[in-house]
Amino acid sequence: MTSDRRHILVVEDDPETAGQLVEQLTTSGYQVDLAGTGDEALMRSGAAEYAVITIDRMLPDIDGIAVMRRLRESGVAAPFLIISALGEVDERVRGLRAGGDDYLVKPFSFVELLARLEALGRRSDTVAKETILRVGDLVIDLISRTASRRGKEILLFPREFQLLEYLVRNEGRVVSRAMLLQHVWDLHFDPSTNIIDVYVGRVRRKVDGQQAYPLIHTVRGVGYCLRAPG
Amino acid sequence: MLLAKTLTSSTFKLALIAIGTFGLIASAIFGYVYLSTSAYVRSRSDHAIMTEYQSLRSDYQQSGRDALIEAIRRRMTYRGSGDRVYLLVDPSMTVLAGNLREWPPAVTARSGWAEFRAAGTSPDATSGVLIRAMLETFPSGDRLLVGRDISDLDGFTAQVRAAVMSGLALIFVVAAVVSILITRRTVGRIESINATSQAIMRSGLDKRIPLRGSNDEWDRVAENLNLMLDRIETLMAEVKQVSDNVAHDLRTPLTRMRGRLEKAYLGQRVGDDDRSLIGDTIADLDAVLRIFSSITRIAQIETKARKGAFRTVNLTEIASEVVELYDAAAEQDGTRLVVGGDREVFVTGDRDLIFDAISNLVDNAIKHGRPGGQVSVTSNNGDGGAVVSISDDGAGIPCEQRDQVFKRFYRLEQSRYTPGNGLGLSLVAAVARLHGVRVEMLDNAPGLKVQLWFSSPAD
Repeated sequence: MTSDRRHILVVEDDPETAGQLVEQLTTSGYQVDLAGTGDEALMRSGAAEYAVITIDRMLPDIDGIAVMRRLRESGVAAPFLIISALGEVDERVRGLRAGGDDYLVKPFSFVELLARLEALGRRSDTVAKETILRVGDLVIDLISRTASRRGKEILLFPREFQLLEYLVRNEGRVVSRAMLLQHVWDLHFDPSTNIIDVYVGRVRRKVDGQQAYPLIHTVRGVGYCLRAPG
Repeated sequence: MLLAKTLTSSTFKLALIAIGTFGLIASAIFGYVYLSTSAYVRSRSDHAIMTEYQSLRSDYQQSGRDALIEAIRRRMTYRGSGDRVYLLVDPSMTVLAGNLREWPPAVTARSGWAEFRAAGTSPDATSGVLIRAMLETFPSGDRLLVGRDISDLDGFTAQVRAAVMSGLALIFVVAAVVSILITRRTVGRIESINATSQAIMRSGLDKRIPLRGSNDEWDRVAENLNLMLDRIETLMAEVKQVSDNVAHDLRTPLTRMRGRLEKAYLGQRVGDDDRSLIGDTIADLDAVLRIFSSITRIAQIETKARKGAFRTVNLTEIASEVVELYDAAAEQDGTRLVVGGDREVFVTGDRDLIFDAISNLVDNAIKHGRPGGQVSVTSNNGDGGAVVSISDDGAGIPCEQRDQVFKRFYRLEQSRYTPGNGLGLSLVAAVARLHGVRVEMLDNAPGLKVQLWFSSPAD
């Protein structure tokens, strides 16, 4: 592990957006470097090992996708988070295919950005090989695809289990609705209804109903977080 | 003015080219007829002269000059011999027999064919006639000339020539008149279309091109242009409707936000109040942004052919996934959500878009269906292609409003206050258009049944 887990490079040309990002990420405990152009990004990335690099899709000099390609060619291993105003599915797919690891559409909520940065940063260091995951008194078995609390089995549909697994894997981190859609349903668009909330609501009733303490918490305006008390 | 337009119109130019081409062909045919007719007539006459000449020549060679003189005299008395010409002269050019007064001075050849003018065979002939003859100078120096007056033949060919020329002239005149008339008619129709177009540009879209009821291609052009105008008018009305609705749907959350911010600006800073106020404002802002992204998403689907992302997908699988996603929502409403049909229904398309379309229809069915009712999603390989139907047992949509609901921001009166932005069915329509899918709304008695017909099965 050579990269600093809290060191991030932000490539963003709009000064105000860049300022907000740097300020808020710094407040959240990240060490942030800023590059205003593609050239600057190429220069800076050679100097330090970053945990994550966020790239604006439309830069004044070089296209964000080209920047990613050049960075990869020069051996940069950090995951890329593309941030762009181009939100259509084709654009997302293009960005991801060109080497982006995740995609965030402007305007975005800062909590959503944090959630994705956390997920990306984690992906670059640990790949858990365990087959049984525990959070508090919740135990999920990845082989038999079953979940239980205090030894009592929770009956879940396969998709519900997948959702719970994703929450457990991101224990303690905020998971946005868009992230759930993307990772649990493989959908790259926003169905623009409260359907995810309703779905999570049912999983939550099964998991948290008649238990000593709740595990699944709603994060207002963003999504959900699974964590044990204390 | 109409005549000037007629003469400069492209139809008239085309007609001129047609007349020119046709005239050339007609001239060639008539010329050929004329030439072959005159050649035939001439060869018939030449043949007759040759037969007579050979017979007289053999008289001379077998029986001598006197027998020939006798033969010529005899032949001159034949009935109908008025056009025949005979002449026998001795070496000193003295006429021995025949009906020419002298050896024609123009004829200097010793033998072969000759054509010349002569004073005539009969005493009453005043003017010279045209004679064609065969002549020979015998070894003795006597000269024989046998021929015919071909003035009549000449007259005949002249008549043929005149007939041919006047026929051609008639063709050209008639063609010119007809093409002017046709062009005038065409120009007239185009002019009426032009006049309507100008009227539309000047005043408004309510004008239509008049039909003549002739059911010809001009009527069809006019009909199609009129249909196009209808469509444009509808679109314009829709745009107006959309901007009204956008204004309404955006103004509501924006007004709420403005109110909140104003309250916060004027009031005291209270930590928790500020938090919830800001939270609500962000939620409303998100709703506004979501409307914007829905609009742009539909526009993007509508404007581009995303066939690149098309692959073979299983409709049943997509339908099951949608049902699974909406299962919890249906449960909350007490609605039974069931999926059925064939196990494998393959179509070519974009999974995400088809998913989005079906989920919008399922979402609507749950929202507008009967509480405690049933919503079913079935996909089948029908005779007319693959079909997926989404049906509920709710209030349904009145027949006359079924086309309306696909318009952007259109919402039935009864659903004005249920959540949603009125864009769902527009998205369904856009996805359907992109996939060549026919959308049918049927009465489920009670309720609504929406069917998406994929015309071509996946190959």
